[in-house]
Amino acid sequence: MEKQLFLKSKKIEKITLIFDALAVITYIALFLFLFNHLQMPMDGQSVILEDLETFNPIYNDFPGIFSNLVLNRGQMNSIISILIIFFIVAFPMLFINIKKNKTRTIYDIDSYSTASTFVQAIINLLTFNFVGAGLRVYNTFVYIKFLKGYSPKEFFKSIIPAIKNKRAERKAKKLEIVEDEEVKDEYSLSIKKSIRRQTAVSTVRLLLTYLFLVLIALIIIIPFYWMVLTSVKTFSESSSTLNPQFFLWIDRWNWVNYKVVLTEQNFGLYIKNTVIVALLSTFGTIITTVLSAYAFARIEFKGRELLFSILIMTMMIPGELYIITNFITVSKNGFGWIGNPAGENQYFLAMILPFVTSISYIFFLRQNFKQIPESLYKAARVDGCSDFKYLMRVMVPIASPTIFTITILNIFGSWNAYIWPRIITSVGDINGSNYWLISNALRDTDFVLDTGRVMYNLQIAASTLVTVPLLIVFFMFRKYIMNGIGRSGTKG
Amino acid sequence: MGNFIKNAKEFLIKIGNAIKNFFWNIRRYINKFKRKISDFLDKKKINPAGKFPGWAKALVYLSPALIVLGIFTFWPIINSFALVVYENYNMTSDSITGYTIFGNFIKVLTDESFIVPASHTASSAVINTLIIVFISVPISIFLALGISVALNSIKPLKGFFQTVYFLPYVTNTIAIGLVFAYMFKTQGGLVNQFISFFGIDASELSWVETNAVYWRSMFVLIFYSVWSSLAFKIMVFLTSIQGIDKQYYQAASIDATPKGRIFSKITVPLISPMIFYITVTSVIGAFKIYNAIVALFGVQGTPPGANYNLQSIVMYIYQFIDGSKEGQLSVAAAGSLILFAIILVLTIVQMQVSKKRVHY
Amino acid sequence: MELRLEKLTKVFTNKNGQETRAVDNLDITIESGTLVALLGPSGCGKSTTLFMIAGLVKPTGGKIFFGEDDVTKLAPEKRGIGLVFQNYALYPHMTVFKNILFPLENLDVPRDEAFARVKEMANLVGIGELLDRKPSQLSGGQQQRVAIARALVKKPRVLLLDEPLSNLDARLRLQMREEIKRIQRETGITTIFVTHDQEEAMSISDKMVVLDFGKEQQYAAPQSMYNQPGNLFVAKFLGNPPINAFEAEVKNKKLIINEKPFMTLNVPDGLYDVGMRPENFRVADDGFKTEIKDIFHIGRDTMIHFEFNGNNVRALVDSDTMKVNQKSVSLTIKPERVYIFDKQTGKVVNHG
Repeated sequence: MEKQLFLKSKKIEKITLIFDALAVITYIALFLFLFNHLQMPMDGQSVILEDLETFNPIYNDFPGIFSNLVLNRGQMNSIISILIIFFIVAFPMLFINIKKNKTRTIYDIDSYSTASTFVQAIINLLTFNFVGAGLRVYNTFVYIKFLKGYSPKEFFKSIIPAIKNKRAERKAKKLEIVEDEEVKDEYSLSIKKSIRRQTAVSTVRLLLTYLFLVLIALIIIIPFYWMVLTSVKTFSESSSTLNPQFFLWIDRWNWVNYKVVLTEQNFGLYIKNTVIVALLSTFGTIITTVLSAYAFARIEFKGRELLFSILIMTMMIPGELYIITNFITVSKNGFGWIGNPAGENQYFLAMILPFVTSISYIFFLRQNFKQIPESLYKAARVDGCSDFKYLMRVMVPIASPTIFTITILNIFGSWNAYIWPRIITSVGDINGSNYWLISNALRDTDFVLDTGRVMYNLQIAASTLVTVPLLIVFFMFRKYIMNGIGRSGTKG
Repeated sequence: MGNFIKNAKEFLIKIGNAIKNFFWNIRRYINKFKRKISDFLDKKKINPAGKFPGWAKALVYLSPALIVLGIFTFWPIINSFALVVYENYNMTSDSITGYTIFGNFIKVLTDESFIVPASHTASSAVINTLIIVFISVPISIFLALGISVALNSIKPLKGFFQTVYFLPYVTNTIAIGLVFAYMFKTQGGLVNQFISFFGIDASELSWVETNAVYWRSMFVLIFYSVWSSLAFKIMVFLTSIQGIDKQYYQAASIDATPKGRIFSKITVPLISPMIFYITVTSVIGAFKIYNAIVALFGVQGTPPGANYNLQSIVMYIYQFIDGSKEGQLSVAAAGSLILFAIILVLTIVQMQVSKKRVHY
Repeated sequence: MELRLEKLTKVFTNKNGQETRAVDNLDITIESGTLVALLGPSGCGKSTTLFMIAGLVKPTGGKIFFGEDDVTKLAPEKRGIGLVFQNYALYPHMTVFKNILFPLENLDVPRDEAFARVKEMANLVGIGELLDRKPSQLSGGQQQRVAIARALVKKPRVLLLDEPLSNLDARLRLQMREEIKRIQRETGITTIFVTHDQEEAMSISDKMVVLDFGKEQQYAAPQSMYNQPGNLFVAKFLGNPPINAFEAEVKNKKLIINEKPFMTLNVPDGLYDVGMRPENFRVADDGFKTEIKDIFHIGRDTMIHFEFNGNNVRALVDSDTMKVNQKSVSLTIKPERVYIFDKQTGKVVNHG
């Protein structure tokens, strides 16, 4: 009976997840559609940045049943804002629930999970996911039946007596305490006093600790808040000389800023470049790192320790030293990858190849490989497993958390790369800015009006655009990344 | 309907099995083939695995990394020593006019704005970098230690705070640097707005713009570098504090040790290897500060027309790498070798100190 | 299948050029279908011997025969062996099913047959229910069973077990001991079992080899080895509490203990090492009288300490025959349970 209820709830959960996913997809699709629909003041091919502020288009060309819909700028902004808020709420919920559903066992159903399902139903309701809300409410009742054996009706009937019971219990407890205090002798009084003093001290200490932590958290958070807020401000709001606004209603969130940055300021291209470089260099790094970490951890050869200590020593040499010669190496007198109009795509070679291996990752992974017991290798040998197969089938899966950490760190590294791409794209006759990565674009794009004033809202919108993907990746793999960093430091 | 679903399921399972069987058989035949070859070799008493020494096998695994490292790491190290002895090295024609042993080093060391403060800014790359190293590193380490101890002492919201403090780690230095520059704007900046809440007239207080003064802009730079480097340190300290055996604390609490003493006599000594490691890496990192300055003050380390300059050593080096003028790359190489020497000396000094002080 | 070691030798050379003979001229023949225990103190070369049989360690000299085949230079996977490690060496990221299947992936076995064999083996060792679990979700005993199933699934000619029970707690160890014996009987596979625990070796094996410093000390059935130890080392190594060993003189074919003739012996006169097991003493009125130095009552038995030629000697006797606070006792021991060892060679002189 209990098992049946559990299986039933699990089935309902799966269906709920499908609807959650559908909702998230709908938010994304609608967002993309509307975002694409946003109009900018155009002058032929280019955007008139000066008019962005006053440009107030009427949107009335929606397809299908929405053909009668007429939206002004504020309404359009509101709808997009709401979609994004919905996405921010619904996507993590979906992600966490998928993870939980996989590992959920019959023992995980308790009053806490029941309550959280109900709260999620309310959130579903607020994000217009009515089917999901209904299914979750139904599932809540299944849980209640599982836990207490009540059917929904009985449950509602049992609520009021339960509350009364609890009150009575609490009263009884209070009475007991009062009776306790009747006992009065010198010693117990002094003990009570010191306990009271201690709790007071520790409460104050706890309060101060939290105050400190909240203060630091505010200092960390405020730049992010300010960034996101500024990114949707208009030009005059962002560059007002007096009293910047600390809060804006959703109808004044100017999503068109992002569209200008992505298209007019070419950030779409820069993000594409960065993704290409990040993925390819990470792919290369993983391959070279795994292979050489294996050689250093498992294969015995003469001079292994010597070679390894040479590698470790080069870790101390600052990267600036390499850049000078590498610049010569990739330019005309070397491989000719840069400043060469014939093969423009060779810029990617110059940006990727120097970074397809990393000594520190080899070191990190080798430590991990070394912890795998020797007997596994012997067992695999007896089973007729070749060295390479052993590496792929046994070592790599076991070390996969470390490899994942390396992947993430490397992608973050490429996302942050500034100096090398800047140096190689700033020489030669051809337009290197087509090969900028996002950091270069952020620093070197002019967000300047004809009047010479900086369009901070666009600049900060670009910053947000660069920051948000990283944050999404971080929140998706939060535990992995944080544990990985902690460990990587510890092993250093 | 139910029947149909059942049939469909069985059909899918059958297809799946067929595919898996197919791959299994492929592997089987490959194995068979391998076995035949090795049986043949055994019969002929040829033992290929025995003939290859360990390093030959290692070379196969190491070659991808070694080739890349050879071209982009080892060769540059060697070449740097060549570059510094060239006189007037011309990159485009790959020609030199002669050799000099210390010429390029002297050029760097006597250059106005490397060690010698430039006349109009009263600061130089080395001075700036040293200020950043000796102020931002201690501040961030003490702060990170305090935060991680505080985090370790609470239970509710711990995960939340941990996540928040980690955020600066997963950001783009340039992007957030631009945000900081925007926040420290003279007019309409968040910081000046905040200051004027206290009744101070901040309408003319300039931090990062042309008419700012050296110490104020240095403050912003240090603030930003501490802000962005806290995350990693907190994470590492917290991990090692959590690794301390609880029995030490239980013993201390039985002896009624005050909290301050517990911190200084138990926590700090026990994680001292980690503190030491973080100190070394942060000092090295701070010596190489670059991106933060670029984000806040531009590629030159100074806004155009300003009479202060926050150029760091690395920034000084990079200004020579476009190869447009003769001999510049040699100067850059000399500069980076000097940087290397500084880092090397610091590391050795810290290692000597740590031998006496760090409780392993 | 019979397994034969001929003058098997392994010499390790360390960095300073010092040589250690881990295994020294081992000559052993293991009959088909028997379970043989390799027994010895730690560092005696028993694991090295096992790994040489497995092919994981190359011998310095000597030969290994599986039946008629010389396998000395054969790669491990071609010898047809199953190996079980002390820490089980299960692949932590694979399920039990995949762990057992893994050896078959490298053999010429159709998929259906492979699956069937995995299930058969799992049932044989009693883990048929656990196939979907990961090793970390299993108890030590269950992990042990998985390791045995993995070793047996490719139908090896020889099963090698390297201290398989030392990571288990005492109760499980007893149970697994019987389990291994049962599996070995059912499959009839020639098995070599490495252990440092003499009780384990004696209870499980058909025959045992005692090794010390890489040299074979004795190769015999457990009970006969216990009753007729070949030398002083074996006598000392087997038995708990350990054998009483002390120096004594034989004069005129009489063993002199406490300056009195103790028993008649058919050996030349001279100084000898004498061994007497504590449990072989009996309380009897017609025995030799001795003062009790110390007495410990341990349930069924009582341990008495007394002196022979200035050496502390222990006797384990039935508690019923002793009184509390008894001051002296009269003990006997059967002549065939007194072992006389040569002082130089350590070899037994009054038996076999």
